[in-house]
Amino acid sequence: MAQTVPRILAIDAGGTMTDTFVVDEAGAFTIGKAQTTPNNEAEGLLRSFDDALHYWNIDRTSAAPHLGAVVYSGTSMLNRLLERRGDGPIGVIVTAGMEDYFRMERAVQTYAGYPFSDRLHVVTHVHNEPLVPRRYVKGVRERISFFGEEVVPLYDNEVRSAVHSLLQMGARAICINFLYSYRDPRHESEAMAIAQDVLREQGSDIPIYLSSRSNPVRGDLARLNTLVVEVYAARPSRQQLFNIRDRLKEEGSSAPVRVLASYGGTVSPDVEWLVTTLISGPIGGILGARRLADTYQFENVVCTDVGGTSFDVGLITERELLTRTEPTVARFLLTLPTLAMDSIGAGTGTLVRIDPAVKRVTLGPDSAGYRLGVCYEPGGVSVPSITDCDLVLGYINPDYFLGGEVKVDRDRALAAIDEQIARPLGSDPFSAAEGVVRLLETQMRDHLYGMVLGLGYSPENYRLLGYGGGGPLHVAGYTQGLEFQDILVPSWAAAFSAFGGACADYAYRYDRSIDLLITTDAGAREMVAQSLNLAWQDLHDRIADEFLRDGLNPDGMSFVPSVRMQYMGMLDDIEVRAVWPMDAGEGLTDLVKRFDTLFAKIFARSARSPEAGYFVTKAIGVGILPTEKPVLPAFAVGDAKADPSADKGRRQLFWRGEWHTARLWEMEKLRSGNEIIGPAVIEAPATTLLVPPGHTALLDQYRVFHLMNG
Amino acid sequence: MANDDENKKTVQALISGELPWAEMKDLMSGTKDPERFRVVRSILQSMVPFPEKILLPLTPHLFIVQKQSERIVKCDCGYEFGDYRTNWKYFSRVRVRDSEESLKSLYHPDQGVDPQWMELREFYCPGCFRLLETEAVPPGYPVVFDFQPDLDSFYRIWLKEPLD
Repeated sequence: MAQTVPRILAIDAGGTMTDTFVVDEAGAFTIGKAQTTPNNEAEGLLRSFDDALHYWNIDRTSAAPHLGAVVYSGTSMLNRLLERRGDGPIGVIVTAGMEDYFRMERAVQTYAGYPFSDRLHVVTHVHNEPLVPRRYVKGVRERISFFGEEVVPLYDNEVRSAVHSLLQMGARAICINFLYSYRDPRHESEAMAIAQDVLREQGSDIPIYLSSRSNPVRGDLARLNTLVVEVYAARPSRQQLFNIRDRLKEEGSSAPVRVLASYGGTVSPDVEWLVTTLISGPIGGILGARRLADTYQFENVVCTDVGGTSFDVGLITERELLTRTEPTVARFLLTLPTLAMDSIGAGTGTLVRIDPAVKRVTLGPDSAGYRLGVCYEPGGVSVPSITDCDLVLGYINPDYFLGGEVKVDRDRALAAIDEQIARPLGSDPFSAAEGVVRLLETQMRDHLYGMVLGLGYSPENYRLLGYGGGGPLHVAGYTQGLEFQDILVPSWAAAFSAFGGACADYAYRYDRSIDLLITTDAGAREMVAQSLNLAWQDLHDRIADEFLRDGLNPDGMSFVPSVRMQYMGMLDDIEVRAVWPMDAGEGLTDLVKRFDTLFAKIFARSARSPEAGYFVTKAIGVGILPTEKPVLPAFAVGDAKADPSADKGRRQLFWRGEWHTARLWEMEKLRSGNEIIGPAVIEAPATTLLVPPGHTALLDQYRVFHLMNG
Repeated sequence: MANDDENKKTVQALISGELPWAEMKDLMSGTKDPERFRVVRSILQSMVPFPEKILLPLTPHLFIVQKQSERIVKCDCGYEFGDYRTNWKYFSRVRVRDSEESLKSLYHPDQGVDPQWMELREFYCPGCFRLLETEAVPPGYPVVFDFQPDLDSFYRIWLKEPLD
């Protein structure tokens, strides 16, 4: 195997495990796993890389020099925010009168992330502890109007004294966010110049951040939040990323390290606004799904990711991914364009209890997470989890959990389920465990069915892709009764997010609020076209600068201009591709047509309301440089009958109230073309695919299983 | 509940106002505990200086207690208001704020109420002079009888331990 030449290294550093996905020249891949090392992520990463390479019998030093691309995604930045372990103190300067942003918030921040029952249960709503204490927020008098006109000039002396006192209080950075600065940034820029003067006088070199620079978009709380989160959570991660780059360089790699951003591109760790990489975990999966959809020429795909704590669903509709521009992250509204994924708190670690008052099974909301469940004694969990149920039902192999590295105890799980669930329900433990699993799968099914219906489609229009640690195990259950065109499970499901990261383009994206009304009036149309062209030119130049800083030639960059627009008076805008330069005649008419069509797809044809005109809310530019991406190698399709060497024996499994004798297969040894007839369990170190009675799993040329009912 | 002592400690902290928010949120979002009333009752019983059995807490300081064959409203200072089916407010000390002057001492000059439209009635315990309850009502409105529970049904149907 000495000829294997690794070309791409993709990393998904989760809270507990760091997955690596390594691709060679021919497109073959290997997967590595190792414990995450939060204090020095490079260590866990290299160990995970070693783990992946050991399947190919090569070592790190001979592998690293061949790497052409390294893509990182991780949750450390997000965890810093979730656990409120960020940097500070941060000084904030805002328009006078607006100093209480963080205390007043917006109502949605007081219940963000709650399950539906608590959202309705108003006494549970609570204000966040501000990331910036009130005394570090200074107001200065100034005002730019909604139309970008100066209403009140900037009071220079107030800026001076604000900066003075913030410095005295030990602020480590200053964020400036004025009302309507996205319309006209001049007051923010003036304030920055004054602040720099003061810093010079005081001999200080703390950084100053402007909201009009990072995020010239409407919504001042979200804009300020994003600015503060950049300083609080993202900036401290930069050093970690540089570390990773340095360590890989020491190993002989000359490949640039790129970080996955929430809008689906990858950026350099030198990027001006690192906060764009805050959310990257679930994004990887949806990009991987898009790669598969391109390979298979699929139009519509439902992506389902079953993790330890959550079930994430994303939709690819007519090859398009939906982007949201104002997600709530860790209970903060942020202006971060993010690929849309909807989550419910249901995963393999979800804890199962009986409600003592009504004797009903309740799932979650808490999860055993990396502690798995009662079956894993060192985890110290006393309440059974879904994993415990799966184990008791014979779906999971107790001796092959993570390839046998983690020892799980089926008897412990069985005893806990019997005592805590079956007996209070007056049932036997196996029926109880199965009931619990079906309940979970029903919740998942309702969630994804609702999402598909919500877009005006039905499952018959989609193919479904199941991945994540628990996807292959539960996909048959949560698709039961839904007539998807096909159900696909990639054999690399466990590292699918890392794979997806490797599929991302080298891309920078910038958004800008513009607020333009397209009507039939020729003069107004001329103005709209001009403003759009100016905005795109500006975005284009900024992105080109980013690539230049990364040491890349921006001449090869393809620039994708788009807008977000809505019918005048409606509240939800959608993203529409555009042509640059835009002309006021044909060009705008085409744009409007594209919007009409897209709106009809996402919402409904009958809901269109063009009477009052079209409102363009944002100009968006994405600059893409081509990069090396994994190609999916096609294997020769052979016999339907699996090779005897893949046969691992038999195990009893419980399905629909009965015990069945299931055949066990080693995933690695199955070949393209093999058909596995249920009841069967296909096992790999990090993945278990359950083929229930009556189902068949067919392994295709790309090593993706197709799960068929019947 | 996994652990009765833990549960009791949590409820104790809840009553004394010392329960951290995260745990309080868990209590509010969690499932109903059929034992909760009994636990709360026994904690309150241990906090009052009198021996009569608490049947139901009414306010932070008032309880309906069983005194021999009677069920009376009693303050935690020991003052007795009489039969619980009669509004205890009739036996309290009352201060009515129905003038600009008296309301001004509570409200900011820009805020507050018009005494033509609303008055504040403060009910104090004749025993310990603690403020027990406040009503905000239009002038002339009858004294509000906040709560007359059906104790027998509550104990029989909900707690499944009928009162004698």
